[in-house]
Amino acid sequence: MLSALLLIPLLGALVVGCWPSKLTSERAKTLSIGVLAINLVVSLYLLSQFDLAITGLQFRESIPWLEPLGLGYEVGIDGLALPLLIINSLLSLVSVFASDNDVRRPRLYYPLLLIITFAVAGAFVAQNLLLFFIFYELELIPLYLLIAIWGGPQRGYAATKFLIYTAISGILILASFLGLVWLSGASSFDYSATMAHGLPWIQQAVLLAALLIGFGIKIPLFPLHTWLPDAHVQASTPISVLLAGVLLKLGTYGLFRFGVTTFSEVWVDLAPYLAWWAVISVLYGSLAAIAQTDMKKMVAYSSVGHMGYVLLAAAASNPLSYVGAVFQMLSHGFISALLFLVVGVVYKKTGTRDLTVLRGLLNPERGLPLIGSVMVLAVMASAGIPGMVGFISEFIVYRGSFVSFVPQTLLCLLGSGLTAVYFLLLVNRAFFGRLASTESQALEQDPVLPVVTWQDRAPALLLVSLLFVFGLSPSWMTRWIEPTTTAMYDAMPIKLEITVHPAYRSGRGDVSETGGVSVDLTTVATNIDLADLATCSDGDCDL
Amino acid sequence: MSQMMTSQVPNIHPFAHYVDRLISGGTLLPDTPDNVVEVMGALDSYGIVLDRYSKNLIHIADHQFLVLFPVFKYFDGDISVQKIWQHFCHDRINYEYAEYTMKAMMWHGGGGLDAYLDTDEFRENCQVAIAAKIKLNPVLQVFHRVFPEFLTEQIRQLSYYSGLGQFWRVMSDIFTSLAERYRRGEITHIPQIVDHVKDGLVADAARPITYSVDIGGKSYDIMPASAGLTFLPDTAIPYVESIFFRGTPFLGTVSYNAQAQQISPDKSRFTYGALYADPLPIGGSGIPPTLLMQDMFRHLPDYLEEHYLKSVRGLGDVRVKICASFQRSMFCVTNAALIGLLPKGADATDPEDVAANREFLLGWMERLASSQLEQVQTP
Repeated sequence: MLSALLLIPLLGALVVGCWPSKLTSERAKTLSIGVLAINLVVSLYLLSQFDLAITGLQFRESIPWLEPLGLGYEVGIDGLALPLLIINSLLSLVSVFASDNDVRRPRLYYPLLLIITFAVAGAFVAQNLLLFFIFYELELIPLYLLIAIWGGPQRGYAATKFLIYTAISGILILASFLGLVWLSGASSFDYSATMAHGLPWIQQAVLLAALLIGFGIKIPLFPLHTWLPDAHVQASTPISVLLAGVLLKLGTYGLFRFGVTTFSEVWVDLAPYLAWWAVISVLYGSLAAIAQTDMKKMVAYSSVGHMGYVLLAAAASNPLSYVGAVFQMLSHGFISALLFLVVGVVYKKTGTRDLTVLRGLLNPERGLPLIGSVMVLAVMASAGIPGMVGFISEFIVYRGSFVSFVPQTLLCLLGSGLTAVYFLLLVNRAFFGRLASTESQALEQDPVLPVVTWQDRAPALLLVSLLFVFGLSPSWMTRWIEPTTTAMYDAMPIKLEITVHPAYRSGRGDVSETGGVSVDLTTVATNIDLADLATCSDGDCDL
Repeated sequence: MSQMMTSQVPNIHPFAHYVDRLISGGTLLPDTPDNVVEVMGALDSYGIVLDRYSKNLIHIADHQFLVLFPVFKYFDGDISVQKIWQHFCHDRINYEYAEYTMKAMMWHGGGGLDAYLDTDEFRENCQVAIAAKIKLNPVLQVFHRVFPEFLTEQIRQLSYYSGLGQFWRVMSDIFTSLAERYRRGEITHIPQIVDHVKDGLVADAARPITYSVDIGGKSYDIMPASAGLTFLPDTAIPYVESIFFRGTPFLGTVSYNAQAQQISPDKSRFTYGALYADPLPIGGSGIPPTLLMQDMFRHLPDYLEEHYLKSVRGLGDVRVKICASFQRSMFCVTNAALIGLLPKGADATDPEDVAANREFLLGWMERLASSQLEQVQTP
């Protein structure tokens, strides 16, 4: 079943790429949309077949491949991979739909997009470290080409920078995986959460550090983020949608899957520092976004900020914060994809993204009123307005992380406030006021923009509806995530002490110090009590 | 000193070339084929809309006299289930716009109509009509005794309903006959349009403006013919002054901050009229200019629709386009009025007379300096 999800886009890429007769751009697009629509239907079928009672992997498939290398085709999904898999199918379809009808070299463009879908889905389902790495690296090539061929004027620079950064990320991840397998003495690269248990602390720390930097580049976290704004600004709209919506999630997914539980001993030791790292990333991203005048750069820096929340939640290491981390990945996927889509429409119609030029786009007759309204909704969701998905994800993250890291959480809350600042600046500058006249139109009575079509609007409206669906009924999302994240938490041999008010601590058992680990760790028994403070059971978050 | 100033003003005034153009028989609006289509199309549909507005205003003045809750005032006396349904589905003319205009005109005042409404004669006429109207209504009788100014003020407003209705009757006829001439192919240039409007205004200049209501089968004069109110000085000029020049800051179209002195406390320095308005912000629901543009769109002639369809957004921004065309047409009407009001006549040849005309026009250019006159010069 999972293989179908990989085969459909791959075969689609082959069909579009090797179509025997002349293929027009529109035809190639229709074909790709067809392929990805089937892909989405299969993903949703998977959702309907997913058994919530099983916390482990489902739909497992195992085929020996290169046994001497320890590489096997091991795939399976759990509640962590499933939602990401579906968002990948959805946003791939959206990005193909949002592509220009007359894109140059369609026989290359659409297959590359389909290969990204294939590679990302492969990375999400891979349960073999080497297989994950192959998919992780595979996605670089089409993305590099998509930026380098169909990008903006500085595309060569941006694509190369992207390639260098992400290749280093790949090398570090591969090094960490190799080290993990060799040091643990495993016979193959098949992933198991207990692989690192028993390794000396320092070895685990080195392996985790390599993973942190590797995935930190991909997420991206400050100061490893500099490739992202360049890549976004130069990439075309559909590529930005994919990049922000899905590809960045590979970083957080990888960190969460392979970092948190595998190296939990070191993770809990480093957690306070990681939370501070998240704070720096959030505040830096937000403050940098305020200073931008290019709409796309502003949204890109906001991505840096918002992905920091995922690190904060992952560092907080409790069942609720884990749900928050995954929820934030998905909510950021929807919101940033939507933001890039809308910015793309504005760019397409006005020819600029410069906030010093754009004015009054909400004009009901000559502007982009519907797209402007969608933009307002998207920034509301991003700033965490209740009723929308951004609020739920940020609230779960903060509610989960507050019990572990009070100052860090409060500082990240400031980042949420800053989100409202920079996005209000954006909306106020670009969408309110009188519609601007450009230089050439200054003498004419009124500026005129091209008409926005339903093809431009439809994907944006679809994503807006999802913002509300999951904002008003978050349990439709958490029910898939929660059993897996709770199981991951339970599987952690060592847990982070929850820094709660002393009143909670009294009479709740001892806070004992276990030998061999340098910080205070609670016993498992204490932890169950304390975990009640921030728990998430039966798919219903006890907020 | 002042002598020197006035003699130099005509030469250095930035709009002096418009005056020269008018003196030499040209028009404020450039004479181009596109402008002819736009102005004719706008005046064509405006004539039809004005006809409906005018009928409704006169209906309200005559048949909704002192009706305190005039629920069916927009139905012109034709009340049926079908018409009520159409009204709720908004399949109707936005008569609200006519009332906004009436109120703007009343607020700015000016002319003989405004002056007459403050005379004792008018007050006496009102008392007679009010007494007849509330003869059988003890509640209103008590109310009238407690608030003697209320019903009188209502009648002042109804007088403006009637006055504007009669003014628009004439304008509607001018525009309708112009549109007929255009369809017959007689109109091909902007100066012909200006001439037609000017001739219409001059022909009806002395038309009396009167108002009387029928109560209980007896007619009561509110503004009798003996008051001597006439079309041009008492309705047309106050209308042009208040609607074309001063106007009303339309909330929602542009945000004005009154506390920051963005709205002059001096009404005579208002520049929010039709000639100054920015057509671009039009399109919001319920905003007065939008209401007029919706009505004009309902009656848009085919040739103007075809003309619009050739542009970038087609009919997608039709209300802004209609407003822009409407503004051009209003510059033609202003042009006609200015020519009609020239102190020495349009065909003066004596250099002294020409200089006087020039002086008069320069005074108006002073007021048009901040209008959209420059913008309508480009295609």
